Amino acid sequence: MKKTRLWLFFVLMTCGGWVQAQFTASGTITDAESNPLVGVTVSIRGTAIGTVSDIDGKYELNVPTSSATLEFSYLGYSSATYAVTSGENHINVSLSEDVTRMEEVVVTGLASSVKRTNLANSVASVPASEISGITVPTTTEAALYGKFTGVNISSNSGAPGGGMSFKLRGTTSINGSSQPLFIIDGIYLDNSSIKPGLNAVSKAQAGGATTNQDNPSNRLADIDPNDIEKIEILKGASAAAIYGSRASGGVVIITTKRGQSGKTTVRLSQSVGVASILNPQGVREWTEERVLGSNFASKIDLYRQSVTNGQIHNYEDELFGNNGKLYNSRITVSGGNDQTQFYVGGTYKDEEGIVRNTGIQKESGRVNLNHKFNDWLDASISTNYIHSSADRGFFNNDNTGTTMGVALTSTPSFAQILPDANGNFPKNDFAASNFLETAAKITNNEEVNRFIGGGSLTARILSGQHHNLKLILNGGADYYNLNTTAIFPNSLQFERDGNGLNGVSLQGSTKNLITNMSAFLVFSHYALNGISSVTQFGVSQGDFNRNTILGTASNLVGSQTNLDQSGTRDLDQDRLLQHDRGFFGQEELNYKDKVIATVGLRGDKSSNNGDVNKFYYYPKASIALNLHEFFDFGSDNLNQVKLRAAYGQSGNFAKFGSKFTTFTSGIIDGKPGIEIDALLGNANVAPERQEELEFGADIGLLKNRLLFDITYYIKTVSDLLLEANVPWSSGFITRVTNAAELQNKGVELGLNYEVIRTSDLHWNTRVGWWKNKAEVTKLLVPSYTTGGFADFLGQFRIKEGHSPTEIIGVGANPDADGYVVYGDAEPDFQMSWFNTITWKNFDLAFLWHWKKGGQAINLSTLLFDLGGTTHDYDKIDLDPAHVLGNGPYRVSQIGVNSDVMIEDASYIRLREVGLYYTLPESFLKDVKLKVGFSGTNLINIFKYNSYDPEVSNFGSDGLSSQVEVNPFPSSKRFDFHIVAEF
Amino acid sequence: MNKYIFSIRSFYLTITAIILLGFSACKIDEILDPNGPSLEAIVNNASRSDLQLVVTGTESLLGKQINFYYFTTGIIGRDLYLFTSADPRYTGEILGRAESVLDNAGFYGTRPYSGRYITIRNTNILLEAVANNATKLSLTTEEVNAYNGFAHAIQAYELHLALNMQYQNGIRVDVADPDHLGPFLTYDASLTAIQSLLETAAAELGAAGTSFPFTLSSGFSGFNTPSSFRQFVKGLQARIAIYQGDKNAAQGFLNESFIDVAGDLYAGPFRHYSSASGELINEVYRTANQSEALVAQPSYVADIEPGDDRISKVASRDTIALDGLTSTYDVVVYPTLSSPIWFMRNEELILIRAEARIGTNNAGAVDDLNAIRNAHGLPDYSGATDDASLTDEMLKQRRYSLYAEGHRWVDMRRYGRLNQLPIDRVGDDVWQELPRPVTEVQ
Repeated sequence: MKKTRLWLFFVLMTCGGWVQAQFTASGTITDAESNPLVGVTVSIRGTAIGTVSDIDGKYELNVPTSSATLEFSYLGYSSATYAVTSGENHINVSLSEDVTRMEEVVVTGLASSVKRTNLANSVASVPASEISGITVPTTTEAALYGKFTGVNISSNSGAPGGGMSFKLRGTTSINGSSQPLFIIDGIYLDNSSIKPGLNAVSKAQAGGATTNQDNPSNRLADIDPNDIEKIEILKGASAAAIYGSRASGGVVIITTKRGQSGKTTVRLSQSVGVASILNPQGVREWTEERVLGSNFASKIDLYRQSVTNGQIHNYEDELFGNNGKLYNSRITVSGGNDQTQFYVGGTYKDEEGIVRNTGIQKESGRVNLNHKFNDWLDASISTNYIHSSADRGFFNNDNTGTTMGVALTSTPSFAQILPDANGNFPKNDFAASNFLETAAKITNNEEVNRFIGGGSLTARILSGQHHNLKLILNGGADYYNLNTTAIFPNSLQFERDGNGLNGVSLQGSTKNLITNMSAFLVFSHYALNGISSVTQFGVSQGDFNRNTILGTASNLVGSQTNLDQSGTRDLDQDRLLQHDRGFFGQEELNYKDKVIATVGLRGDKSSNNGDVNKFYYYPKASIALNLHEFFDFGSDNLNQVKLRAAYGQSGNFAKFGSKFTTFTSGIIDGKPGIEIDALLGNANVAPERQEELEFGADIGLLKNRLLFDITYYIKTVSDLLLEANVPWSSGFITRVTNAAELQNKGVELGLNYEVIRTSDLHWNTRVGWWKNKAEVTKLLVPSYTTGGFADFLGQFRIKEGHSPTEIIGVGANPDADGYVVYGDAEPDFQMSWFNTITWKNFDLAFLWHWKKGGQAINLSTLLFDLGGTTHDYDKIDLDPAHVLGNGPYRVSQIGVNSDVMIEDASYIRLREVGLYYTLPESFLKDVKLKVGFSGTNLINIFKYNSYDPEVSNFGSDGLSSQVEVNPFPSSKRFDFHIVAEF
Repeated sequence: MNKYIFSIRSFYLTITAIILLGFSACKIDEILDPNGPSLEAIVNNASRSDLQLVVTGTESLLGKQINFYYFTTGIIGRDLYLFTSADPRYTGEILGRAESVLDNAGFYGTRPYSGRYITIRNTNILLEAVANNATKLSLTTEEVNAYNGFAHAIQAYELHLALNMQYQNGIRVDVADPDHLGPFLTYDASLTAIQSLLETAAAELGAAGTSFPFTLSSGFSGFNTPSSFRQFVKGLQARIAIYQGDKNAAQGFLNESFIDVAGDLYAGPFRHYSSASGELINEVYRTANQSEALVAQPSYVADIEPGDDRISKVASRDTIALDGLTSTYDVVVYPTLSSPIWFMRNEELILIRAEARIGTNNAGAVDDLNAIRNAHGLPDYSGATDDASLTDEMLKQRRYSLYAEGHRWVDMRRYGRLNQLPIDRVGDDVWQELPRPVTEVQ
C-alpha cells in the first residue's frame, strides 16, 4: 500500500498544475412529474469529472474551475445542460422523457458507445417498451417485426417455438449464412437450428431438394423478450466491422435489464390469451358431379352415404381449429443500493398451438448484478437459465404422404377419419396417413436446458480531469443441451401393416458451448475547446463447440420408444469445432460535437479458414457533421442537421466443414464401408468479405419533435462462397468456392413525430420505409438455379447481372437459359407505422407493417390441386379461356407454365395492438395496477393463396425462404393482461 | 478535490490479461475434420483395412440413388407408374404429359446419374490408394489385380447404367481426375469404351489368384472369388455386346459367364438390402394397396398370356387414380424393404443367348425361349420361327421376365420400337433419353 501512495503522489506531482478555484455544485433532479430521478449522470462538459444522483435525486459535484457547464443525462430522457458558477451553484433540473430517442447511447466500438446525436451510422434500436410492452411476443425475434428499417424478418412456419430468418439490408450470402450475429450482454449467442431427423419418416430430402426440411426452431427463441432492455441492430459492415469475421449478416446486440439503486420494485404480470389460425383456406365443396369427375369417382358410394348421414367435415378446421390457450406469468424484482444493484426476472409460459398436442412451455430465470467494489473497480454479471419444451407437430414437405399438411391435401370432406367413440382412428383411404391420428399420436418435441452467463470487469486505471484509462475484461458462455424427441408409434396408419418403418423413435441430443472473452483498454480524452478522443485497443477470442448425436430406431417393440426397444437402429453424429482469435483497435475523435470521426481496424483469424493462422483485416471509418453546431439556423424549428458517412468491412465464414473432403460411412451386410462425400472441399477456403458504404442525414425540426432520417447504402459482398455445382461425372455434386460477388443497394427512411404533447394527451407516431435491391455482380461459375425443388416448380437463379433471389420457372418465351422470370423473393419495399397514444390513464399502441411485393413459391396449393381438394378448385378465374376450374387449370400448367405457383407475397398486417388502462393510485394504495388487451396479427390483408405469404419450407438456410410446402399455419393471438407494480 | 486514481493492482491485471489474451491470439492449431476420415489420408496413407472400407463403401454406393433409375426407366418404359401426392413429376414430365418436357435438373434423372459417378469416384479412389500404397502394404501383383479388376468392373457397370439413361447424348468415360474430366463420347464410342473396360477387368481378374484380398457382402455370394466374379463380368460383356448389336461376341462372352439354362433363374449377384441397423433399404419398395403406390401400367396384365406365373409380379389392389392415370395392380417385384435388386441374373443371360442366336441359330433361340416359357408355366413357343417373329417373342419374354428391372425401355429403344409402348393420355410422350444433366451442359 505504501508503494501505491508513493505512485499516487508521483502522478499527482507530474500531472498537477490546475487552477485552484473550485466550488461544489448541487441540486435535485426530477422528471416532468417531479418524481426524483435516481442515477442520472452529471458531468462537467469537456472533462471526465462526474457523479450520479442519489436515491432522492440529489447530486453534488466538485467543480475545479470557477464556472462550468454541467451535463445531465439519463437513459430514456432528453439530456440537459446548465451553466454553473461559484455564485450560482444550486441547480434543480427537470428532465423530460426522450420519446424521440435522440439521446440514447448507441454502441460504436466493442467497448465504447456514443450518443445517437453524434452517431455516424444508421444504427437501429428498439427499447423494452416496444419489445415486450405492447403484446406478448412469442419469441424475441417475433418482437422485432417491422420495428427496424432495413431489416427483413420472416417466420419459417407457425409452429410453436418459433423458427425465423433474418435478412439485414438484403441477402448477404448465397450458400453461407445470411443470419446475423447475436450478442447478449457481451455474450455470443448460439442461434443454430438443429434438425430432429424427421426426414427418416418424411423422406423430404429424397426428391428434388436434398436440403433439410425438418424445420426446427432457431435457438434465439430461447431468450425471454421480457428481460430485454434494448435491442440494437448493426445492419451492415459500416457499423459491424468491429465484429469482423462473424458480422457479414449484421449484428444484433441485446442488452438486458439491470437493477437501479433505490427502492426495490416488484412487478407481477399475468396474461391469458387465445391463438387461432391466421387465414383458414376453407375446403372444396363436393357435389356428385364433382366426385364423379375426380380421382375419387370410385368412392361415390362413400360420398352419397356421407351426405345422407350428414358427415361432411371441414378437415382444415378439424386439424387447425384448436383454440390455443396462452398463459404467460412474469415476475420482476429490481433494486439495490449505491454499491450493488440487482435485477431478477422470471417467466413462465404455457402456450398451446392451433394443432392439437402442439405448444410450448418455457421457464426462464435471469439474475443480473452490478457491483461497485470501490472507486476504481466495477463488475457486472448476467446469468440466465432457460428451460423450454416445444411440441411442433409434423409439417412441411414430405415424399411419403405422412406429414399432416400433405395428408390433408388429398383428403376430401366426405372422407370419414374422425375417431370412433373409443378413440380409435379409422384408416384414411385418401392419403398415406390419417392426419388427425397423426396429430393425436406423434411426438415432435424440442427440449432445451440452457445457461447463458457472463460478466465484465471495468477497472479505471487512470482517471484525471481531462482523461481516463479504463480496462474492460469481458467474458461469457452460452451452454445448452437440446433434446429432440420425435416418436412415430407403430400404431399409426403409416407405420402399421407393413407401411413405413413399423414405428420410429428419433432421439437427438445436442450439446453446444460457446465461450468468448475479450480485454480492452479504453483511453478517453476530454477537451472543452479542442478535440476529445476515445482510443481503444483489445483482443478477443471465441470458441465454438457443438456435438449432435441423433439416434434413429425403427421396428419398435410394441409401444416402446427407447432406442434399444427396436429392431433397427441408426446413429449419426455431427460435430463442429471452431476457434477464432482477433484484435481490435479504434480511434474516435470529437471536435466540440461538430465533427465526429472514427477509424478502426479489426483483425481476425479462425480455424475455419483454409489458412488457420492468416489474419483477415476489416477496417472501418466514419464521419458525422452536426451542421447545427456550426451554424445558427436562426430558427427554433430547425434544431438538428447531421450529415453522416460510414465505411466498413466485415466477413462471413464458410460453413463448417467446407475445407474438408470427407468420407461418410455406409454399412452393407453388417460391415462398415466408407463413401466419398458429394461435397468437394476447398482447402483454401477464405471468408466472404463485405464492404459497405453508407450515407445519411438526420434532421430535427420543431424543437426536435419531428425527426427525419435518411440513409443510403451500398453493400458489396465479394469472395462469395458458393457450393457451386461441379460436373456430376466428377463424382462430386458441389464444391465450395469463393466465386461470386453481389451488391445490395438500399434506402431507409425514418420519420418520428411527436404529434401531440399535452399533460393529458400524448401521441407519438413513427413511420419507417425501406427498400433493398440486390444484384449478383460477378459470377465465376456458370449461372445455376437453386433453393427450390425444380425449375418448373419455381427456383432461384444465380446469374450475373440479376438479383440473387430472382424466381424463375418454365413458360412461354423463355430467355437464353430456357427460363422465364416470374418475380423476386425480395420485396419492392417495406413500410411500418408505429403509434403510441396516451390519454389520461389509457395507453394505446399499434404497429402496422406493409410489405409490398416480393414473390413466394406456393406449392401447398399445388399439392391441394393434385389431391383435388383445393378450396378454389372449382372457381373459374384463372383460366384465360374461362373453361377450367382453378384447380384443374393449375394442374394443367404443371411443367408448362410456372406462373400459377409463383404468387405475390405482399401483405399488410396489424402486427401489434395493445390497449392498457392504469388504475388510479387511489384504487390500491402503493400499487400501480394496469389492465389491458393486446393482439398480434389481428388484421392481415394479402392476396396470397395460402395460410400466410411469410413462410420457408427450408428454414433459415441461405436463400431459400419464400418456398411453401404445407407448413404449420401461422396464427393470430389475443391476450388479456394484468400488471401490478409495487 | 481533483485526483488521479492509479491502482497498481489494476495495472498488473491489465498486463496479465493482455499478455494472456494476446498470447492466445497468436496461434491456432489446425483442426482435423471431426466428422469423418479425409480423402487425403485414404489416398496417401491407406492400410489394408482402409482398402476394405473403400471396397465395402463402393458396394454400398452401388445400392444408393438407384431407386430413381428403376422408377424413371420403369415409367418411361411403361412398365409402371409411381403415384405419390408429394411430387407431380412422376405422372407429369416423365410421361411427357401435355406440353411438359424433361428437366435437365430433375432429380429423377440427375440423382441416378450423379449416384453412378459417385460410385465411380469411390472406385477411382480405390485404384489410386492401391497404386500409391502397394509397396508400403506389400501387396502382391495378384492382390493388386484383384482390387483393380473389381474397381474396373464396377466402373463399367455404373457407366453403362448412366449410358442407358443418356443414350445418344453419350457419356464421359474418363473421369479419373475430377479437375480434368475426359470428353463426352458418342453412344457407340461409350459402349466400346465400356466393353474395353470390362475386358480389362476380366483380364485382371484372370490374373488375380484364387481369392480376393477383400470380402464382399452376401449380395455377391457365389461371385466372391476372382474367377466367379469374372463370370459376372463376362455376363456384363454379353449384355453390352447385344447393345452393340454384336450377337457373335455376345455368344462368346456368355460361354464364360454364369449362364445355366437349367439353373435357378434368379442366380446372380445383387444389391444387398436390409432393414437391419444402419443398412441400406430397398427404396423402390412401396407398401401394397396404399395411396402412395408403385402400380403396374395396365397393359402388363392385359397382355400377359394365361397361365404365365409372372402375373405374380403384380398384385391386385383397390383401384387407384391420379392425374388421369388408373391402375388396379401394385408392382410387387420388390415386396419388402430388404428385397434385393439384381445386377444381373441367369434369366437375363438365357434371354441374351436367345437374342444372340436369332438370325444364326433360330432353333437354339427357340430352345432358350422355351426354357424361359416353361419355367414360368407356359407351353413351348408355337409361333413362326422367322427372325422377326422370334424377335417379337424374345422381347415379350424379356418384358415379363425382366419386369420392373430397368430393361423394357432400353430393349424397345434398341429395336426402334419406342412408338409401340402404350400411351395412356392424349399428348403423352415416350422419351428416347434423359437430357444431359444441367451441370454437364455448362
